[in-house]
Amino acid sequence: MNTQTKLTFLAAAISSVLLTGCGDAETTIVELPPIEEEHDHDEGEEHNHDEYEIDSAGRLSVTDADSNALAIFDLDDNSLLDTFSLTHSGSALTHSADYRFAVVTSRANDLVEFIDGGLWREDHVEHLHDYEEAPAYSDFTLAGSRPTHVDGHDSQLAVFYDGDADSGIPASVQVVTDTDIAAETAEVNTLTFNVNMHGVAKPVDDMLIASVRRDDSETTSANPILPDSVGIYHRHDGDYEQEQLFAGECPDLHGAALNDEHVVFGCSDGVLVLHAHDEEYESLKVDNIDELNGMRIGTVYAHHDVETFIGIASQHGGGSAVLTAIDPELGEMEAIDWEPETNAHPVSYGFSFDGEHFLILDDLGYLSVLSAHEHDDHAHWELEERLDISDADLSLMPEGGAFSMTIAQNAAEVYVADPIAQHVLVIDLESGETTGDIELDFVPSAVTWLGIAEAH
Amino acid sequence: MKLNKLAIVMTMLLPGISQAAEINGQALNQNGQPLAKAEIEIESLNVSVTADDNGYFSLPSVNACEYVLHIHAPGYAHLHETIEVSDNSSEQLAFRLERSPIEVIDVIAAPMHMSIMESASPVNVLGGETLRRQQAATLGDTLEKLPGVQSNFHGNVASTPIIRGLSGPRVLIAQNGLDVSDVSRVGPDHSVASEASTSQQIEVLRGPATLFYGSGAIGGVVNVVDGRVPSDNDTRGEWLLETDSVNNQKLGSFNITTGAGDLGVYADGYWRESDDYDTPVAPDVDEPDAARSVENSAEESNGFTVGASYLLDDGYVGIAVEQFNREYGIPGHTHGHEESSDDEHDHEHTEAEEEQVFADLEQTKVQLLGELSVNSNWLSSISFRAGYTDYEHAEIEEGVVGTLFENTTSEVRIELMHTPLADWQGGLSLHYKKSEVAAQGEEAFTPPSDAEMVALALMEERHFGDFLVQLGARVERVTLDAPEVLLPQLSAHDHDEAAEDVHDHDHDHEAESSVTRVFNVAQEFTPVSLSAGVVWDFTPGYNAAISVSRAQRAPSASELLSFGPHIGTSTYEVGALFALSGNEDSALSLSSSAIDLETSNNIDLTLRKISGDVGFVFNAFYNQVDNYYYQVNTGLFAESGHDHGDEEESEEHDHSDELPVYLFRAADAILHGFEAQVAWQVTDEFKAQFFSDYVRARLKDGGDLPRTPPLRVGTQLSYQTESLSAHLDITHYAKQDRIDASETVTDGYTLVDAFVAYDFNVMSQDMSVYLKGTNLTDEEARVHTSFLKDIAPRPGRSVGVGLRGYF
Repeated sequence: MNTQTKLTFLAAAISSVLLTGCGDAETTIVELPPIEEEHDHDEGEEHNHDEYEIDSAGRLSVTDADSNALAIFDLDDNSLLDTFSLTHSGSALTHSADYRFAVVTSRANDLVEFIDGGLWREDHVEHLHDYEEAPAYSDFTLAGSRPTHVDGHDSQLAVFYDGDADSGIPASVQVVTDTDIAAETAEVNTLTFNVNMHGVAKPVDDMLIASVRRDDSETTSANPILPDSVGIYHRHDGDYEQEQLFAGECPDLHGAALNDEHVVFGCSDGVLVLHAHDEEYESLKVDNIDELNGMRIGTVYAHHDVETFIGIASQHGGGSAVLTAIDPELGEMEAIDWEPETNAHPVSYGFSFDGEHFLILDDLGYLSVLSAHEHDDHAHWELEERLDISDADLSLMPEGGAFSMTIAQNAAEVYVADPIAQHVLVIDLESGETTGDIELDFVPSAVTWLGIAEAH
Repeated sequence: MKLNKLAIVMTMLLPGISQAAEINGQALNQNGQPLAKAEIEIESLNVSVTADDNGYFSLPSVNACEYVLHIHAPGYAHLHETIEVSDNSSEQLAFRLERSPIEVIDVIAAPMHMSIMESASPVNVLGGETLRRQQAATLGDTLEKLPGVQSNFHGNVASTPIIRGLSGPRVLIAQNGLDVSDVSRVGPDHSVASEASTSQQIEVLRGPATLFYGSGAIGGVVNVVDGRVPSDNDTRGEWLLETDSVNNQKLGSFNITTGAGDLGVYADGYWRESDDYDTPVAPDVDEPDAARSVENSAEESNGFTVGASYLLDDGYVGIAVEQFNREYGIPGHTHGHEESSDDEHDHEHTEAEEEQVFADLEQTKVQLLGELSVNSNWLSSISFRAGYTDYEHAEIEEGVVGTLFENTTSEVRIELMHTPLADWQGGLSLHYKKSEVAAQGEEAFTPPSDAEMVALALMEERHFGDFLVQLGARVERVTLDAPEVLLPQLSAHDHDEAAEDVHDHDHDHEAESSVTRVFNVAQEFTPVSLSAGVVWDFTPGYNAAISVSRAQRAPSASELLSFGPHIGTSTYEVGALFALSGNEDSALSLSSSAIDLETSNNIDLTLRKISGDVGFVFNAFYNQVDNYYYQVNTGLFAESGHDHGDEEESEEHDHSDELPVYLFRAADAILHGFEAQVAWQVTDEFKAQFFSDYVRARLKDGGDLPRTPPLRVGTQLSYQTESLSAHLDITHYAKQDRIDASETVTDGYTLVDAFVAYDFNVMSQDMSVYLKGTNLTDEEARVHTSFLKDIAPRPGRSVGVGLRGYF
């Protein structure tokens, strides 16, 4: 019980605790077999992506000029995958917004049909997942009065129904994504006007930029079936509501195109440019230039990586065409001298997938490849080369037939269908060479590329 | 062998047989008025009673002996009085308590006396009204008005306390004495998994506290205490509803304790939601015209705890389960790939794709707590704490989990308090903790590791007349096992060099294969901590204290094994296991120098005036840390690894996706500074308080440590009547110009906060309605200690209203 003993104990206890170790640190490192990895890309993470991605040239849908058949070819080996019987013959052919579906529009029969090309990409968030399946006829259809302009932008396809004055059916627009088509959606986003018109509509996110036909007493259009105004519509619960109206600013509106910054409409007195600014659109008018020789721009092309729009003015009945480059930023228009061959009449136009080239296919079987060059801060489009893609006797062209083309969206390639030779040529734009030939046992009327477009 | 000796000694200490006696007394205030509700305890016996409305109390029968009574009441200085109890005495004793303008709250369940006024080492306890007034959404912000504690303010969504300039793996955050077990120690953007609004008090130990908590506490401890395992079943509770304007915060919280018979039951819960907060100026210094709010600083959290205990005659044992959920935006945590501005077409895409990252944190915590008074010859009480936590924290970008952090921790702590041994009081603490920490994903800069700790500590104290001597020692065995430590072939490069051969560099990356070396790393540390302190009551009402300690810490997994991008700090972190190699293939290789313990040698001086109308506490400290682990900028840059999907079309080498490489290394550091706190009870209603703190943190060989808190001075004026209270806080943060090479000078600023509360009674429930204003002058306040200093200043002016109830 004496204090001395207790203190001794305490000291002993503390020192015994201290003796068990005095600030030791020991590190043991054993090297294990290293991990070696090949780097295809910068990131290891992207290896995972590759697991789900499919490298395919795509597929080609071709319609038969003499029947209601539509054939789908595999562009990896140019083999025929399947042939489908469309409900009607003489239909127009295009592709869905993300190139999965062939879109077949029968204006006369008020019907839009879809054929699944079988190649598509889904965004699984952590990776992009590609699918490759057999082509299939989709049960999904769209119906409406006089479907005419069918146009994709930004993963949305807008089908413009002109409507019918005789039966009092107004014009309308339906907007579907590839997912909607695949899911055979029952609820299609729709805008219905109160009058018929030969119009056009372009989807931008949850907006729809559409032509508007005003009352005949107000219209500035010479041909009242052509609209003269543009409305900006916003989607709410599947319906579009008008937010802005550019009234009367585009007489005889026909043709429209858009890139990420601007929307351009062809009008009889020039082109109307709309530009989004703080969620409000602002308009700008570019007057026709003298080189148009009194013609008007009725078709406009755009590419989202290209600032310049290309406007086309051509006479009805196959006169020569005047191409113009439109700079929407500066509000300028200038003629493009594409040095056409004598008597050549363009039958098809389009930007290459990367926007590097603008292509003109004419009825003489030439493919003119234009490219842009910078001069004085302006992009000038000039003829770069001209490829002769047909040596056939043009007089053998079937009645009502024409050359047609479609542009691949994953490579600098273009596919040209030749009704005389009954084949589709694969043309590499980089080399200017024909790299493939798909033989057909029918006369092609139209071709459309399907597949997984390269992401931009 | 040792145990045998212990048994023999204990047997010798058996007290003689004596008769039972009763202690009766009255607690009085400085004017001799009865002091209602004073607490009276005999610590050596672990018994306590509460005085009645007239201050009278009676302690149950005790053996005739000499006892130390500890008498305390809110607003009064604690009184320690030695009394001699003789057989059958029934003497009426009077105890007079002196007023203390500085609030004194004891640290709960500490093995020795711990309070702001009594212990050799400095302690703060935030509790009661003050806690409710200062509680914030994050722990650092809650505690930042305490002297010596500042916050590393991380855009209102996360913050961790910085104690005397130290934070991260040097400050341990505990909940009821057990490690909070989150990942807040490794990243400033990781929130602490603990909630202030349901807590009862928050204890802060400044300076080395490894003695009590081990390796992680070399710089201090923050212990959040709540009553989740009730030690009694008196029905009580509180609830609170509050809303604040600056971030549209809505908070609701409650806690309730009740029970019947032998059963105590507890529940608490809270729910909080806030939007992005507004700032007095545009948050990003580089974008002065931007909107005045910090994007992606919204938060939503909720939690719920239930506990039950079995109440024994001489103790309790119980279990509680908590579910803690928190979802918050991480401001500044955007993984931008800025594209060249010529490329206008891509622009829209890029802007739309700029990701906002948010964290989704989830924790389940089970705690088993118990305390038992033992009527044994040598043991007076046993306290037992065990915890199991399962923590998961996902950082989500574009709807996908970018990085997932997991921490599973099991911990047991047993404290055996002995009966006084030659008047020495104290006990032995046995402590075991095992943490499995893993991170997967882009930001998994630290490989998975298991850390295990076993510790034995002894803490003793004894009064020698006017002196209180406190001694402690602790030895630990810490093992850190990481079976797969990766050393990628990092082609880190200097920006100047790289500019010329950009293409070469790219090709190196793409064409060749790279080799990642893999190591199995096992580490074993034996940190030892020793501490000795003396408190001297040199004259009535005053004391002076000195505390000397030597504390050791095993470096953490992140300090040793890291290798990867850490977006929270915008650095590429490389642990101390690695070193620069000077080799062309790979800039970094295994370090050849030994990994050593970090050792702190700390001396603390304290002078206090503990009672009277004026009270003060002055602390000065000098802390020399050998082998201080810190990060140095290597001047190299490495890919952040944050490309998302689409490949860059431009061939240009894009530096925005690179991070500076910071390497951990150890060097000797010195931290010194002071804290001062003065309170003056001017009248019964009016009180004025003043505080200041300062720390200087530098390397012994020259150079300042980064993110060191600046000098602070502050005042608090309070006015308190029965039903009305008002507080006005003015705190000035000085300019910080003692900076590390990677930092910039931060301007000083002054914050003005006010608080007014009105107490009333509705249906026999005490209620309080309050109005609070923070940053009333709408001052631009950039926090030097924050990693987001230049992009997220403190919130602007905010007005909050709230309603509280107690029963």
